[in-house]
Amino acid sequence: MKNSIINEEFLQQVEALQSLIKNNVAGLFGGTHQSKTFGSSCEFADYRDYIPGDDITKIDWNAYARFDKLYQKLYLDERQMHTKIYIDASRSMEYGRADKAEQALRLAATVAYLSLNEMDKVSIYAIRNKEIIEIISGMVGKDSYVGEIGKLNDLEFSGDSYISDAVIPSSVGYGDGMSVIISDFLTDNDYESAINHLADKKRDVFCIQVLSPDELNPKIRGKVHLYDSESAEKIYRKNIKKDIMQAYRKALEYVQERIGNVCASRGAHYLLVSSEDSMGDVFFGRMVEKEVLK
Amino acid sequence: MSFQYPLGLLGLIGIPILVLIYIIKSKYTEQTVSATYLWTLSEKFLKKKKKDNKLTGIISLILQILAIAIISLTIAQPVFTIPNGANEYCFILDSSGSMSMEMENNKSRFEVGKDRIKEIIEDSGNGSLYTLICVDNNTTTVFEKETDKDDALLLIDELKSGFGSQNVSTALSKAQSYFDANKGTLTYLVTDKSYSEAKNIHLINVASEKDNYALSQVTYDYSVLGSLSISGYVTSYESDATINLQVNAGDESAQQEISVQKGVAKKFTFDLYVESFDSATVKILNSDALALDNESVIYNVNKANAYKTLLVSQTPFFLETVLKSVGSESITVMSPNDYLTKEENKSREIKGYGLYVFHSCNPKSVPDDGSVWLINSTASIENSGFNYQGEIKLDKAEKISKTKASASTIRKLLSDVDGNEIYVSKYSKYDTYRNFDTLFTHEGNPVIFTGVNTYGNREVVFAFDLHNSDLPLLADYVFLVNNLIKFSFPSVIDEAFYECGDKAQINIVSNCESIRVESPRGKISHLSTKEMISEFQLDEVGVYTITATIAGQARSFNIYSAMVDEEKDPVTENEGEISLLGEASGKGFDGIYDKLIIFFICLAVIMVADWVVYCYDKYQLR
Repeated sequence: MKNSIINEEFLQQVEALQSLIKNNVAGLFGGTHQSKTFGSSCEFADYRDYIPGDDITKIDWNAYARFDKLYQKLYLDERQMHTKIYIDASRSMEYGRADKAEQALRLAATVAYLSLNEMDKVSIYAIRNKEIIEIISGMVGKDSYVGEIGKLNDLEFSGDSYISDAVIPSSVGYGDGMSVIISDFLTDNDYESAINHLADKKRDVFCIQVLSPDELNPKIRGKVHLYDSESAEKIYRKNIKKDIMQAYRKALEYVQERIGNVCASRGAHYLLVSSEDSMGDVFFGRMVEKEVLK
Repeated sequence: MSFQYPLGLLGLIGIPILVLIYIIKSKYTEQTVSATYLWTLSEKFLKKKKKDNKLTGIISLILQILAIAIISLTIAQPVFTIPNGANEYCFILDSSGSMSMEMENNKSRFEVGKDRIKEIIEDSGNGSLYTLICVDNNTTTVFEKETDKDDALLLIDELKSGFGSQNVSTALSKAQSYFDANKGTLTYLVTDKSYSEAKNIHLINVASEKDNYALSQVTYDYSVLGSLSISGYVTSYESDATINLQVNAGDESAQQEISVQKGVAKKFTFDLYVESFDSATVKILNSDALALDNESVIYNVNKANAYKTLLVSQTPFFLETVLKSVGSESITVMSPNDYLTKEENKSREIKGYGLYVFHSCNPKSVPDDGSVWLINSTASIENSGFNYQGEIKLDKAEKISKTKASASTIRKLLSDVDGNEIYVSKYSKYDTYRNFDTLFTHEGNPVIFTGVNTYGNREVVFAFDLHNSDLPLLADYVFLVNNLIKFSFPSVIDEAFYECGDKAQINIVSNCESIRVESPRGKISHLSTKEMISEFQLDEVGVYTITATIAGQARSFNIYSAMVDEEKDPVTENEGEISLLGEASGKGFDGIYDKLIIFFICLAVIMVADWVVYCYDKYQLR
């Protein structure tokens, strides 16, 4: 369906973008950085109380002798990270001027490339209704990227999306990388639980809200009967005037605040992207500004 | 109701179109958006407000429909007919001098007459036709078959009464033609005259019995010694009265009380002594119905025509005496040597005279600014029109011959002159190179001749010295000089007192470039100077000022136009019968109601209201 989105030209742009980011920021993505989780490398990090079942080889006996209490030694884990990208594949993503689906795919492809560039493993999933659909699994290295990323073009956007219902039951991993959710978040459905779940699993959570210009600044005026692209039952019939437009803008602010507050409370990143924004603006400007890239 | 331009109703098609547009505009447009979530959520943030006023849109539609309807009707020009509601009116308004008399309400008869006509017009049905004819000495159609009431009323407001006598015959002929064309025509005669019978004419009498006094036939007699006698008649038309008269002449004034009987003109005379007399004013001091006939101004015609004379002579006695005897009041005498010196020096002292008399003096050139008499010139004089060819000395005095020519100018010049006993003993021979009228000759040589010199000024030539002739001893001398003076100085006006309606005569003198006449009401007119005499009609009462530009110099004369006697009598005399021939039908025609201005006002209001509604709507959407 989106055959033309991830193409040669786009890949060249991503490559150029990567070079730019590399020269300007240290980068967050990738397997060469230290993990938030503790692993089994030789670099000591900290102690914690011993819990029965822990590896007894990592008990610090010297500490036990000194304090008469069991402490487990913790080591920084320098293993390869696993970036998991979740794309909202509901029908609403396909509507609007400069449609959001294309922008979502471009964002996913760019994030994947940057992660691979950092020697990370990348998996890309689609969320449709209450299911997680695996599009690319465990992609490693740039060579596989070129071969695999084209699968995004085959992604179809239809139905609704229940982010929490889809993400929570899936295998999201534990403390081994970043989880990126790309969606318009224009739903009453629960997505906060998914963010909480991912945060509980010690994952770096990054929510990218993609909205079209028609949603950010709608031009609709007068008497209209609006149909929801995802459900024929959802309709809105009004004579749209100045007061309704003011209310709409407040509603838009409310939605941004809602997701922004959830992310902030869980140490997650949040970024609003217009479907018209260029990748350069998003990754070089906005992400640096939001300190997603350092 | 009918329409003058029914095609304008096609505009009403716009109404269903407008309604259709409104319905289409009112329909909700359907649109699919990615998610209605934000729109639905916005309901929570919508401030509670009173329900949308649906009337706003409907009012706008109603206003627009009304606008289209009114525009269409305006173009179509609906005519609301009122059956038999209109008439054709023909008003004859007497504008003669008597109509200026005041009535008891201090309004003139003319103004009251105008008011009556205006009332009839205002009460008439729309669509009526109005014709107004004013009559005094002249008959003037002010408006004819006018359909617009307001225009008619405006024109009536601007009317002013005349001064002449009433003559309705021409107006009745016109009214007859309107009546013949439409037997339903209503004819009104508004006058202060009384008629015994009027057929097919509605008489509106505006006469009143307020008293009026009048002066008439005011004349004067003035001698050079300063005795001024002013006489005339005074009349009280309504009752016996004592009338106070006052005369002002120069610095002198006098008053008289004269008892007069009703309707009987009584003579009065004022005897005054005034050194100089230009004009005199006679006034009735009593107030009455008509002020116009209470004053009379008389002007001294001789004074108006006065001129200055320069007499250049070594022996001026004979000439000065005879010139004074014929009315030349201002004579300056100068010796030939003096004159020649001043001429050499181009002195301004020898300028500005009406008549230059050169006796035995040979100026280098004739003056360019006045008439010239050359007596016994013994040299050629520039611009004189003749050349000196020598002296002819006779052995004994011989008789000169009177011309036998019978041209009118020569007859005037030789009027009362016998001319058979004039002898000369010596004279000069002249060769003329301009056209002159020869009055006397000796052996074919002109000895007395007149004409016009190079400057266009009148010229009189005597080829002999008066000392060498018996002419000064003859009665012919005075007559001839008098005629030559008249030839040299024709009067611009011969008479300065007229009655309104008369034609005043102005003599067109030589070098007269223009004549301007200003009436008492300030109306300016210019008379032709191509003929010997120019005439103009006196339509107003009061002083007319005539300004004649003669050889570049403006000279003013006044004449007085008095009110005609028959218009002074406030008592209406029975003028007999008047009628329009034929039988009146009494039928009118359909009147119309054409107050379209109401439509235009409504249209403007609706447009503005619609615009306000539109702006409000626009503001709401902004």
